[in-house]
Amino acid sequence: MVKRMSHGARAALFAPLDQTGRAEAVTRRLVDAISLGLLADAEQLPTETELAAQFGVSTVTVREALVALRQLGLVETRRGRGGGSFVRAPADSPVAPWRERLRAVSLSDLRDVGDQYSAIAGAAAKLAAERSSAEDLARLELATEDIRDATGPAASRAERHFHLEVAAAAQSPRLTHQELLLQGEQGGLLWLPITHGPSSAYPAHRAIVTAIGLGDGELARKLTEEHILDAIDRLVVLHLELIDP
Amino acid sequence: MNDTRTRPGDEVVALVSGIVEGAFAGLKPLLAAAETLLAEPGPTVGADLEQLRPKVVEQLDGLVVGAGFIAAPGLLADQEFGFEWWTTAGGGAPRQLFISLDPTSEYFLDYTRQSWFTVPRDTVRRHITGPYVDYLCTDEYTLTFTIPVRGATGFAGVVGADVFVREFEHATLPKLHALAVEERGQAALVNAQGRVVVSTSARQATGSLVRELDIPAWWTTGEESTTRPGTTLRRCGDAPIALLVTAR
Repeated sequence: MVKRMSHGARAALFAPLDQTGRAEAVTRRLVDAISLGLLADAEQLPTETELAAQFGVSTVTVREALVALRQLGLVETRRGRGGGSFVRAPADSPVAPWRERLRAVSLSDLRDVGDQYSAIAGAAAKLAAERSSAEDLARLELATEDIRDATGPAASRAERHFHLEVAAAAQSPRLTHQELLLQGEQGGLLWLPITHGPSSAYPAHRAIVTAIGLGDGELARKLTEEHILDAIDRLVVLHLELIDP
Repeated sequence: MNDTRTRPGDEVVALVSGIVEGAFAGLKPLLAAAETLLAEPGPTVGADLEQLRPKVVEQLDGLVVGAGFIAAPGLLADQEFGFEWWTTAGGGAPRQLFISLDPTSEYFLDYTRQSWFTVPRDTVRRHITGPYVDYLCTDEYTLTFTIPVRGATGFAGVVGADVFVREFEHATLPKLHALAVEERGQAALVNAQGRVVVSTSARQATGSLVRELDIPAWWTTGEESTTRPGTTLRRCGDAPIALLVTAR
């Protein structure tokens, strides 16, 4: 029995793409999905036609992406009855594709990702400080505790969930949506399991939530911006290690 | 109440009360279907929830853009979490909502932390959550109406309906505006936490918290209305929404 796609971010995964670099973008999204375990090993992908419709691209583009994924060894295509494209999750290191992306990224792009993330997450934190009710704060507290002992993918999930909760506490569907988009794109690099641990994230989250609880929007924004800069710092260090010959 | 004199805001109060009671009343057939399903002999499994589908889809009408049943953890014999939820958000035919139900997944979001789940569970009473950003389902600014479902061993989950804040505003703002003009001030609908749902003023916008009054504290007194210089606060019937009228 083939495993069914059963993950929440499916809607985000299959959201229509911009018209530029489509095959590359489809490839990247599927690589991300496979490396994060969003698409499970041995899971059957939708048909080329379905994928094309879901991504809002042509079937030719989807085919190109599938060729690239086969070359990466992340997808296997079987012909005939019961055939189709199947996920082959890398058994050794699930973060390997991320390392490849981090190696390929430029530091100027990384700075820009950080700038955009800071603008969104910082503004969300400021508004959350102005608008959080006791109920919002209780949820932020829970989200903060999530990262205390988390490692690997759980830490990554806790990071992303925390920033999502802050955006929701800001009462802004648009900022929440931006946060989700950023997490799905280059911004996802920020919260890689390989880039951070609970030791630094937990106190940072705690301080942000305290500022939100005090209604201190400027402080909440500043702390959030610093938290993101810290993540960018670590990415830069990792990038430099990765390009070292 | 024997007082039959009309008060300013009567129309708004009646309108809001009507919308809220209508939304809760609309959920009754789904509630009955869920409780009947759970009362059947033998364990309930995830696939059984499909039987609720006709009653769920039936909800999607008028202001209601999302509806369904959400199971309490451990209720279903074959899976920890489960739900049958459909939405017409974004237009078009009703679509089933899928979110990750696997707690070990990177994309799992624990719905048992959401107020629309916890409050009916803890109070055994109906509840309106929001306005809040519904990042689990539509990413929209939403009001969620939920009623606790009883199973053989107590709380079994909730049935609920989603109303977008913008649609609620379309339905209430004309009367709210008329009242503001009549009172030469501003009028707003606020929830029990003091969060603005709809308002005639950009300075007291939807989503902001009213700070001038301690609305959560007032709410616990059970008072029907309160008046201070320049401000009147009044409950909209049994709905957890109050009408706030302030001098300009």
